Amino acid sequence: MSDELFVVDNLTVTLPTSRGPVDVVKNVSFTVGRDETVGIVGESGSGKSMTALAVLGLLPRGARTSGSVRLDGAELLGRSDRDLRSVRGNAISMVFQDPLSSLNPYYTVGLQISEMYRTHRGGSRSAARKVAIEALERVHIPDAARRVDHYPHQFSGGMRQRVMIAMALCCSPSLLIADEPTTALDVTVQAQILELLGELQSTTGTGMMFITHDLAVISSIAQRVLVMQSGDPVEYGTAEQVFSAPRHEYTRMLLDAVPRIDDEVLS
Amino acid sequence: MTLLQVRGVTKEFVTRGEGTMARRSTFTAVDDVSFEVELGETLAIVGESGSGKSTTARIAARLLEPTAGTVVFDGQDVTKARGRELATFRNNVQVVFQDPFSSLNPRYTVERIVTAPLTYQGITPKGGRRAFTQELMERVGLNPDHCRRYPAQFSGGQAQRIGIARALAVNPKLVICDEAVSALDVSIQAQVLELLMRLQRESGFSYVFIAHDLAVVRQISQRVAVMNRGRIVEVGTRDQVFGDPQDEYTKTLLAAVPRINPEWDARRRGKEAS
Amino acid sequence: MMRYVLGRLGGVVLILLAVCLFTYLIFFKLSPDPAVMICGKTCTPERIDSIRDVLGLNQPLLTQFWDFLSGIFVGRDYGSVHCSAPCLGYSFQTNESVWSMITARLPVSITVAVGAAVLWLLVGVIGGLVSAVKQGTWWDRSAMGLALGGVSVPNYVLALLLQYVLVVKLQLLPFPSAVPFADNPLLWFESYLMPWVVLAVGYACLYARLTRSNVIDTLAENYYRTARAKGLNGALIMRRHALRPALTPITTIFGMDFAGLLGGALITETVFGLNGIGKMAADSIAKNDQPVIMAVTLLAAFFVVIGNVVVDLLYTALDPRVRVVSS
Repeated sequence: MSDELFVVDNLTVTLPTSRGPVDVVKNVSFTVGRDETVGIVGESGSGKSMTALAVLGLLPRGARTSGSVRLDGAELLGRSDRDLRSVRGNAISMVFQDPLSSLNPYYTVGLQISEMYRTHRGGSRSAARKVAIEALERVHIPDAARRVDHYPHQFSGGMRQRVMIAMALCCSPSLLIADEPTTALDVTVQAQILELLGELQSTTGTGMMFITHDLAVISSIAQRVLVMQSGDPVEYGTAEQVFSAPRHEYTRMLLDAVPRIDDEVLS
Repeated sequence: MTLLQVRGVTKEFVTRGEGTMARRSTFTAVDDVSFEVELGETLAIVGESGSGKSTTARIAARLLEPTAGTVVFDGQDVTKARGRELATFRNNVQVVFQDPFSSLNPRYTVERIVTAPLTYQGITPKGGRRAFTQELMERVGLNPDHCRRYPAQFSGGQAQRIGIARALAVNPKLVICDEAVSALDVSIQAQVLELLMRLQRESGFSYVFIAHDLAVVRQISQRVAVMNRGRIVEVGTRDQVFGDPQDEYTKTLLAAVPRINPEWDARRRGKEAS
Repeated sequence: MMRYVLGRLGGVVLILLAVCLFTYLIFFKLSPDPAVMICGKTCTPERIDSIRDVLGLNQPLLTQFWDFLSGIFVGRDYGSVHCSAPCLGYSFQTNESVWSMITARLPVSITVAVGAAVLWLLVGVIGGLVSAVKQGTWWDRSAMGLALGGVSVPNYVLALLLQYVLVVKLQLLPFPSAVPFADNPLLWFESYLMPWVVLAVGYACLYARLTRSNVIDTLAENYYRTARAKGLNGALIMRRHALRPALTPITTIFGMDFAGLLGGALITETVFGLNGIGKMAADSIAKNDQPVIMAVTLLAAFFVVIGNVVVDLLYTALDPRVRVVSS
């Protein structure tokens, strides 16, 4: 247990609704090791995104949580907003689905990266700017020294997601949460972003919690998989186990529903 | 029999650019695109965002007028059709859109939505609206008792079935599906695809199936046109395009599709078969 | 950029010309004969003719319009009287030069507009902001209820009410009069206070509601969530990722509202008897004083059109999506 980087233990998230409190995440447990990618997969309403938001304390107002979420042994659940700030973006950072709306249109990407770096690491504006350029170079944005002064709308969808990833990694977090990071992207761009994430992980050793609805994406990136259905964890195991010998009926149904591209047999 | 012929269609949009200072410029969304659809077949048009596939669909459905080129339906040039001619065309060609909720009027009941195309033409279906709606709902796999409900009372997959029922109400010869299953969860998507294929077998109409998801396209289509930057780069039978792609872009596209580890997949299927 | 600004200014000139022409046509052609009006009760056909001659009313319409226009830039002669540029003619009522009437009254209108604007921006924006942050609390509910009420109260009702209570009953404030600041700053402030408040109330309520809904929308933006996920401190998140996006659109609306007021706050000035452009407009309309009507209409149009250009340029400067064309 102690060598696990990140442990989620019996996490339950309760949201207030007009019909009373609803458990949107029920007794979810999983661990992420250093260097490891854990995929959380499920359809809409499965609670996969709520699990991610709960980790960083970003749940909607009125949400309640129970269980335990630990990073390097330190409990995160129930800590105050102010207290969690030093964790967010620093030890755990997050990449979201839609890179355009996730970046502030009023500021250059350089400022959006450096404001985060300076919050956690301090230093001068010019030093932070240098960090931002390096971060952009690391995600292979060409001409980073010039692009750092550009606004989000001046980038293509794939390049914007690279900016988000550059930002998420600029403080060298130990855990990266990627919430449907390729869902809004075209398939060729998705392939490039997945490759980039794999490459960055092998150089930085960041643990990754990868949330998606796409089983094929999970299969190509994750070592372990948690399948969720309406808040319940239905299956948890190594990717090989889950894909080659699913134990749960729902997992099997999901796997059968995925249309194949190379399949010989067609109905 | 050739049902739909799109010949040399080009669509230019005049953009004001994104800044107040930007000059006007034209943007060619669709560039000299031609294809044909046979009666009873499914032609898929596949491409990434900005490829012009949706614009092409809209032109084929006469929801947009092309800058150049013609659309011929059932032997008639409908590019400039008006009035009665256009009404006949609209009866023969129906569209199913991506977002079922935004394309269904939230204040109307299913019955009113589904029979609206008939109501506009002053037709009362045989046996009355209620029975007509219920029969259609049954065909698309919805509970006929729910015909007095509103769109918001249905799930995404069910709402898409309502959209399909509305398209079928006028007994069209061609149904254009514009990313019709893209917004759905994978399990629901499989069911709706199954439904679309069953309805085609039953009624024999054609589909133009617009999608970005190659695996979905492979499942439903007989022929495939691949679009990139406003042009059709490759068109052929499904097996040609997927099995032996000729164009570089098609190859890149196919290579980029994420796949479930084939070895794991085979092992699972082996187990389940035994 | 320069090209754009020049293009816009060219547009401004055209719009002002069009406004001139329409105003001229409406007031000089459709209202009673000015010569008859000026002539008064004891009038002879000969006098009317001579007045017509002096005013140029016998000339073709286009010539008259051209005389009016050129008068603004180079001055013109009425019989033996020379009216130097910028010449907007003479009031039919008082024979005063219209230009000097405007220059005398404009400072009053500007004072009213600026004071009210400061007041409504402070109250409206801060009120709306607090409401947005405390969304759903008793503060939010009561502030927004008050704002809804405030928008609905007519200016003149509020003006009379305040005047009755504060001036007549409690005698806290003097009757408003256009006291110059230099003469007596305290009296200046006291006498303008009521007009400011009356004018600001409606706008403040409107701006509070606007600010609130803009801020609430921004708090639901994905980039606001990103800012929180980045671990930024609360003040920075608020300033950069909530206020900047939420308040930028308000700048536009403010620019237009303010420009509209520079042309005179008709009701407020009239009710308080402040001799500004608004009261001048009301008086001239009541007495069919055509040169004055013409001048105040032009002045208001001028402010609105210029305000429009300034707002557009400002917006371009504030929103990078408009400023920087995507590459």
